[in-house]
Amino acid sequence: MKILVELSVNGERFEIATNPHATLLEVLRNQLGLTGAKEACGTGECGSCTVLADGRPILACLALAADYQDCEITTIEGLQAGSTLTPVQESFLEKGAVQCGFCTPGMVLSATALLKKNPAPTLDQIRKALEGNLCRCTGYNKILEAVRAAGEKMSQEASGSSGQ
Amino acid sequence: MSELDYVGKPVLRKDGPEKVTGRALYTVDMRLPGTLVGRILRSPHTHARIVNIDASRAERAPGVKAVVTHKDSLGVKHGFVETRRYPADQNCLAEDKVRFVGEEIAAVAAVDEYAAEEALELIHVEYEPLRAVFDPEEAMERDAPEIHPSHPKVREPFRNIAGKTESSWGDVEKGFDDSYLVLENRFDSHLRTHGYLEPQATLASFEPAGKLNVWTSSQGPFIKRSKLAKTLGLPMSAVRIHKAYVGGAFGGKIDLFGHEYCASLLSMKAGRPVKIVATREEVFTAYRHGQPLIVHVKTGVKKDGTLVAQRFRVINNCGAYRGSGVVVIFLAWGFAMLPYRIPNLEYEGYAVYTNNPVRAPQRGHGAPQMRFAVESQLDMIAEQLGIDPIEIRLKNARQPGEELPNGDNVHNCGLADCIRKAAEHTEFKQKYGKSRQTPESAGRYRRGIGIGVSSYFGGSLIYPNSSSVVVKMNDDGTAILLTGAMDIGQGAETILTQIVAEEIKVPVEEIQVIAADTESTPIDIGSWISGNAYVSGNAARVAGAEVRAKLIEIAADEMEARQEDIVLENKTAYVKGSPDRRIPYSELVAASVRKRRGDSIIGNGHWRTMRDEPHHPSLATTKGRWSENYAFDAQVAEVEVDTETGKARLLRAVTAHDCGFPINPLLVEGQVDGQVSMALGHAFLEEVLMKDGRTLNPNWLEYKMPSIHNMAVSEHLDVVTESYEVGRPYRTKEVGEGYVSAILAAIANAVYDAVGVRLFSTPFSPEKILQALGKLK
Repeated sequence: MKILVELSVNGERFEIATNPHATLLEVLRNQLGLTGAKEACGTGECGSCTVLADGRPILACLALAADYQDCEITTIEGLQAGSTLTPVQESFLEKGAVQCGFCTPGMVLSATALLKKNPAPTLDQIRKALEGNLCRCTGYNKILEAVRAAGEKMSQEASGSSGQ
Repeated sequence: MSELDYVGKPVLRKDGPEKVTGRALYTVDMRLPGTLVGRILRSPHTHARIVNIDASRAERAPGVKAVVTHKDSLGVKHGFVETRRYPADQNCLAEDKVRFVGEEIAAVAAVDEYAAEEALELIHVEYEPLRAVFDPEEAMERDAPEIHPSHPKVREPFRNIAGKTESSWGDVEKGFDDSYLVLENRFDSHLRTHGYLEPQATLASFEPAGKLNVWTSSQGPFIKRSKLAKTLGLPMSAVRIHKAYVGGAFGGKIDLFGHEYCASLLSMKAGRPVKIVATREEVFTAYRHGQPLIVHVKTGVKKDGTLVAQRFRVINNCGAYRGSGVVVIFLAWGFAMLPYRIPNLEYEGYAVYTNNPVRAPQRGHGAPQMRFAVESQLDMIAEQLGIDPIEIRLKNARQPGEELPNGDNVHNCGLADCIRKAAEHTEFKQKYGKSRQTPESAGRYRRGIGIGVSSYFGGSLIYPNSSSVVVKMNDDGTAILLTGAMDIGQGAETILTQIVAEEIKVPVEEIQVIAADTESTPIDIGSWISGNAYVSGNAARVAGAEVRAKLIEIAADEMEARQEDIVLENKTAYVKGSPDRRIPYSELVAASVRKRRGDSIIGNGHWRTMRDEPHHPSLATTKGRWSENYAFDAQVAEVEVDTETGKARLLRAVTAHDCGFPINPLLVEGQVDGQVSMALGHAFLEEVLMKDGRTLNPNWLEYKMPSIHNMAVSEHLDVVTESYEVGRPYRTKEVGEGYVSAILAAIANAVYDAVGVRLFSTPFSPEKILQALGKLK
């Protein structure tokens, strides 16, 4: 038996007929074609499936789609306005924080959520925010640098625009 | 030396924007209309005879479109190594026997995963369980259950020998007699998984006209094409491997895997696309991990620390089929003899069948295990002789231009410089030994410092043996690079583009890369024997050089100047001394088409390492050339040990590396950092726990991979021994897997320096450290 789930994803409303037990990740990937969120473990251990629910990072592989009908879901595909990269995305590129890229969407979203709340986090705060996202390629040093650099960039942009 | 515009620079990766925006499509993201879900039935037994397989109920189940068992296959076996000495030994689908838990028995394709999984339960397999053996030394005993007959060429009366490597030079016994000090030790290593985030996955689509299209998470499409064609009985030209992004591999995605074969066979039978994605639990329990080695090493030295003789006996637990087990015992010889001069050496390595899952190459492929053994013992020797760890290494380090016993040359080997730089940068000599001199009352936390060295080859001769590259100019003066290279995250596409950019002086952003497709791109050696930057890189350089020559020729013609006076720069040509008058490439391409009877300017290049060697060295005797590039490194670890809990952690890793000419320093750093992190996991966190052939911790909760909390400071010191000159072959060595090894040994040596505990096996667990401290009964 299927149920109708209404989701708001990246600013668009969707009505989706799905199994009651379908996870948010299954719906995003298989029904909406938003494959940026990845499934690497399916059991909430690696963070590759991270998406934002009302700005908070959640593990889409453990979330039931039906439970998120009142939230605004943001996936990696919905992060940018137009084709300009966000400061976090830019910094990940510039600092060499991307290798195979499989963890990258989740990392970028976790970092974005952190910097929205706290644009000048300490290293420990960054570690805390990214502790649920595994990366096998980079050893994390460059990811840490990238998040710090993105925070600085965002603070500068914010102070620059407020000064105008 | 000419000025370099694009190589040697931290150019941003070409695939970066796709990856940070989530647009990069990996195999797990691929879907075609009508795609069926495939699932594999795996053996629940460690060793059993298959009496009967009845799949008839599954075939009739609702939603099931195809079921395959051994009866549907051609019975062609496959293996990582397929040579006369070591023929393929593994069925794609089990026939009369299963030899490990997880071995593929049947596969189904159904309309959805529920139907597929229900169908698996309807396949009835009748087994007759057999006695099994899991420990390699037990498996060698005469009364051990026979998994496969021992290799016919092995003389010793051991059971289950998949293969043996033997090599020697000098007179080892005399060497030991002449030595001032002789030590003999055994070092053990443990089982670790690769930890690639993207699970193993394949989408296969067989077209009615006879073409099999495959997307698969791999380390090179050409080896997959060759093995799929062979096992499926298709002409190679009927199999096309398409490009997909790859979410990490680390050696674990080279071989032919059951899901690749089954997805293809199911698609051929069902006439629809079939996709199989392994669960993480399957990856942990049934797929191929690295190879734990037992390393016996006996070493004799002079009073001043000069190595005189070394004898190795290595035993590899290679699982139920040969896999790369016989490659590891060859490579272990190489990693033992590479960094230091050893005048007398005797080596024997055995690959032993056990009823464990098959093993694969894993970043370093035997080097971490060997360097851990040799470097640990070298520190023990140094201490007994009263020599410091730096001096004993400098004394024995290979020097530039030295010839190896197999005829290879180390060329501009920078090992001694690496050792010196790493030691100076970390103030090694000032720090070493301090912790052990301070009284116990000095505190619970002890710090220690340790060093290790290693060497790794860059490219060897394994199918497809060579790489070719095509570079074509576009009408607008930009270019397209066609390469079969597979970017697995290391940045293959980026560095090949940098090389072409340098040769033809077109900016990196304006060169489009088309890669890793067996039909639209030329053959490539693959991203798995550390040969990409050198073999594919030189092919790219040659292809670029052909384009450059054509651009110069037509520019000289157009500007009525001599060819040697033409300068190329940023998509324009000018005559030396008159940079104000430039012709854009777009005009040169048009002129070439007009005046050279349609030549739109295309270059092609190819490269093979060791062009005069007929084939790869003998895995059994080590005879024959192995590589023409050897990278060297010295790594220093600083650790902290909690003497109350026995918990040790890596605080700082310093890597001094001679990787030849670093094409992209940012990517080089990324490779080093990743390897330090992996070694840290190896040392302290990770272990696939198995009992009687079954995996006990098949998930990332119970198998701890380093998280962002476990990272250590990672510093890099370049010892650049090679240069890049436009139009000339360059030597770039290796950076992808040579740096997981010395750091592991350095960590072990640092733990000893901190608390005086010598570790003879990995991982360096709190239990072992506490036990050695006498704090655990």
